[in-house]
Amino acid sequence: MANYLDALSVLILFSSFILVANKRVKSYIRTFRIQSILIAFATGIMGIQSLQTEGHIDILVVCLIMIVLKVIYIPNLLNKAYDKVQYKVEKDFFFNIPLHVFVCCILVVFSFFSLSTIKDINAGTVNMQVVNMVSVVLIGLYFMITRKKAIGQIVGFLVIENGLFVTAIFATHGMPFIVDLGIFIDILTAVLIMGIMVFKINEEFDSIDINKLKNLRG
Amino acid sequence: MGFILLALPVITVILFMLFRGRRLLHGLSIASSTILLIVSVFLTKSVILYDTVEYSAFWGFYYVDALSIIVLDIVIVLGFIVSIYSIGYLNEELKHGKIDTARLRLYYILMYSFMFTMVLALTVKNMGIMWIAIEATTLASAFLVGFYNNKQSLEAAWKYIIICSVGIAFALLGIIFLHLSSLNVLQDSQLLDWTALFDHATLLESSILRLAFMFILIGFGTKAGLSPMHTWLPGAHSQAPAPISALLSGVLLNSAMYGIIRTVAIVNKNLGSSIFTGRLLIALGLLSVALAAIVILTQKEYKTLLAYSSIEHMGIIAFAIGIFTPGSIFAALFHMINHSFTKSMLFLCSGSIMQKYHSGKISKIKGVLKILPVTGTAFMLGLFAIAGTPPFSVFASKFNIILSAFENDTPILGVLLVTLLSIVFMGIVLNLFRMFYGDRGTQDLKPGEFNIPGTAAIVLLLLVISISGIYIPNELGDLIIKAQTIILGG
Amino acid sequence: MSTFVYILVQILVIILLAPLVNGVIQKVKALTQKRKGAPLLQMYFDLRKLFHKSAVVSEVSSWIFKATPYIVFSTAVTAALFVPVSTMITPAAFPGDAIMLIYLLALGRFFMVLAGLDTASTFGGMGSSREAMISSLMEPSIIVSVITIGLISKSTSVYQMMTTAQFAGLPLAHPVYLVVFLAFLVIIVTESSRIPVDDPATHLELTMVHEAMILEYSGRHLALMELSAVIKQLVFITFVVNIFMPHDQLIGMVGIGAIMLSLLIYVLKVIVISVLIAVIEISTVKFRLLSVPNLAALSFILSFLGFLNYLVLWR
Repeated sequence: MANYLDALSVLILFSSFILVANKRVKSYIRTFRIQSILIAFATGIMGIQSLQTEGHIDILVVCLIMIVLKVIYIPNLLNKAYDKVQYKVEKDFFFNIPLHVFVCCILVVFSFFSLSTIKDINAGTVNMQVVNMVSVVLIGLYFMITRKKAIGQIVGFLVIENGLFVTAIFATHGMPFIVDLGIFIDILTAVLIMGIMVFKINEEFDSIDINKLKNLRG
Repeated sequence: MGFILLALPVITVILFMLFRGRRLLHGLSIASSTILLIVSVFLTKSVILYDTVEYSAFWGFYYVDALSIIVLDIVIVLGFIVSIYSIGYLNEELKHGKIDTARLRLYYILMYSFMFTMVLALTVKNMGIMWIAIEATTLASAFLVGFYNNKQSLEAAWKYIIICSVGIAFALLGIIFLHLSSLNVLQDSQLLDWTALFDHATLLESSILRLAFMFILIGFGTKAGLSPMHTWLPGAHSQAPAPISALLSGVLLNSAMYGIIRTVAIVNKNLGSSIFTGRLLIALGLLSVALAAIVILTQKEYKTLLAYSSIEHMGIIAFAIGIFTPGSIFAALFHMINHSFTKSMLFLCSGSIMQKYHSGKISKIKGVLKILPVTGTAFMLGLFAIAGTPPFSVFASKFNIILSAFENDTPILGVLLVTLLSIVFMGIVLNLFRMFYGDRGTQDLKPGEFNIPGTAAIVLLLLVISISGIYIPNELGDLIIKAQTIILGG
Repeated sequence: MSTFVYILVQILVIILLAPLVNGVIQKVKALTQKRKGAPLLQMYFDLRKLFHKSAVVSEVSSWIFKATPYIVFSTAVTAALFVPVSTMITPAAFPGDAIMLIYLLALGRFFMVLAGLDTASTFGGMGSSREAMISSLMEPSIIVSVITIGLISKSTSVYQMMTTAQFAGLPLAHPVYLVVFLAFLVIIVTESSRIPVDDPATHLELTMVHEAMILEYSGRHLALMELSAVIKQLVFITFVVNIFMPHDQLIGMVGIGAIMLSLLIYVLKVIVISVLIAVIEISTVKFRLLSVPNLAALSFILSFLGFLNYLVLWR
């Protein structure tokens, strides 16, 4: 069983690389959906494991919420938001894709080296999973920084939250249930608010290019 | 009884959604904040008598100790004052046609949701729920920042929500690591409880705890406005309506700092020395003060200048926590109180000035002392206060912080801090004092105060900050000492 | 003596099986398009036809043009020696033969590039430059993948890699193997010049790479070049098949029967991977040439992730 979780953790990390290598907003949303499916799968496996050994169903419930929210609801929301917003930004990022992928590679190496200096996360399996997941968070952050379209930034934020959730699941077998619930509600509200703001920005500025938001510098 | 503090804002929000009339909304707001004020007085009395207040309902999450009650009292008192001021402010906005009654209702709904989330952050002992509440404060105040729906407000709101959400996400990573460090030590029911973590602090895993602290510092530091994560702050605080800016500056930054202080207490107890956390906090604190100093020298809009001053003061508080001696912690907590009151008063004054002159730029504002006599005087005195002039309260706490820097065998830091603070003083005086004299361009402005309750609130705050520089009531002093003891480790 | 027999068997199996792979792939593609398609053994007939025809050689070309088909064929066959079709047949295995394998094929590719330029035709030059770019972009991925597998099996001999994988349970469930397998899928697609990197059935200037380089060949030269291409494809497929799906023996069987059984299982595994390649060809389109670096970057990342995870797991 543990092997499958390792393999899944590497695939989740790979899906964040696919995210960086994409050019179109619909592909971002689709890759996010795939990543959420992989994470839900991993959570499900852990949930079944914990059900068998300890009889808690919290992780399974959390897995279910995750499926409903991040696999079904939020990508649909983002797709609908993107359909209504007319985009005028042609090129969404600053360098070319292989350079982005290379930088993300460096981020993975960086997190590997930083986390391996911590002597206490010792069991080899946990160590690799934590490295993979912290890398997902860092790649999400990098993705967010390098996008020019507002929806790209929202997807980056969601990838960061995905990475955090899966770090919690792999490293600590889930946070206390009520905390998980609260986190999901927070993320949902945050995405709704960001979605509404994208509309308003589009109305005021006639585009969702973030670079146009520079009146307040200084 | 403490649950009223949590339940009342929720009930108020629901009632706001049901009512329409302007007078009714104003009345509801005042009634609600008054009741909150009364309840918090009783709660403070309980904490003074019994040291902590805990209830076992709702999984035993409710917990208030001396540290929480200090920050909580600031929240409630400022909420009360801001609700008084809002009446006049919103009426004036209605008169000029900038908002309509529906938006007024939205304002109150959002404001009380905001109050609810902040009270929630301060009355729980589970760090996870504290995190959820602090994230919720961002979400509740996002639309308040973008309240006026013009280009600049939307830009400020977007930056606010994106930067703060990312920062808070990093704080969540820190809390996950905190959880990880305690897995072998705590049982299921105690996970992420601050009291349990604090009691068993020496048994936690040090290296993971260090990592957790760094992430939490970055995360909550983003919310608290520490450099280099402060970039959302000037925009958000200058574009929001003035009473909301007062709340943001005076209350929200404190709540984020509260989260940092709770974590510092655990980490310092675990590591046995405050050098690790101290270095990080002092570095970020000095960086914030330095950055604020540089920008204030050349700032052209008064609300943005006040926002940078908030960054500076949060930097000072972080610096003081970094030094971590009993004197500096006392001074830091006292500074929190003083800064909140002074800064809120300044923002409320600037709100009145903005409504009178319809401009946010310093160069367009002249002759405030003549056009708005009471507000103008309060504003001028407040500027002196925030820059650290005696006999105002901010001077007392700043002086103590600098003193503790020198006492702690690190005179260089003290010298650095003093230099930077003098640059800030210079900047404030240079830039803002042009507003008070002269009368060019003000011929068609009617002199006179228009927001009577608001002006009364401002004067009240002015009195508070003048008196507390010279005299602290015994109960308050005892309370701060209790909080200091909690942080230092009993 | 048995070594000689083993080598003979190995070479014969690979040379004889290679055109079948192409047949399977194009049959699968035809079936999904609801056509009947050419018969499975079509490529054998094509090769036989080509060997009978005479070769036309351009006057302006040099010895490179005439020598290249033979060089390419011999490098391909030599490379085929190093990937055992069954773990019971141990052909010429020595430490470092995995690296040797890659660079033998690179030698062949080098001469193909030169030959494309040799006839001074524009198509050839264009194909050569494209091929050079694509192969140099894919090389880091190949090397890191092979080295990672080598690190796990503590040797650089393909035979060792195969036997280690046999005792590892189901390798594909293991994160390092899984990721390197995905990287190898991309590599196979590139090295055999298939969609999405290069279209093997086109003669349009916009889309040819491999075809452009062999455009000028005819007769037996063309037969040799085509045969070498499919042998190269089968070499990579054998590598993938025997490392990632290595089980090919029933416990306890020895002797000729066991070897026949393992060869049969090998043929089945090759057919499975051929179908997989066909599915990949059906479901994607040919990438723009300038988007191939993105694919190369992804493949490199996959192999690099495998390497990093190996470091974490085995230290």
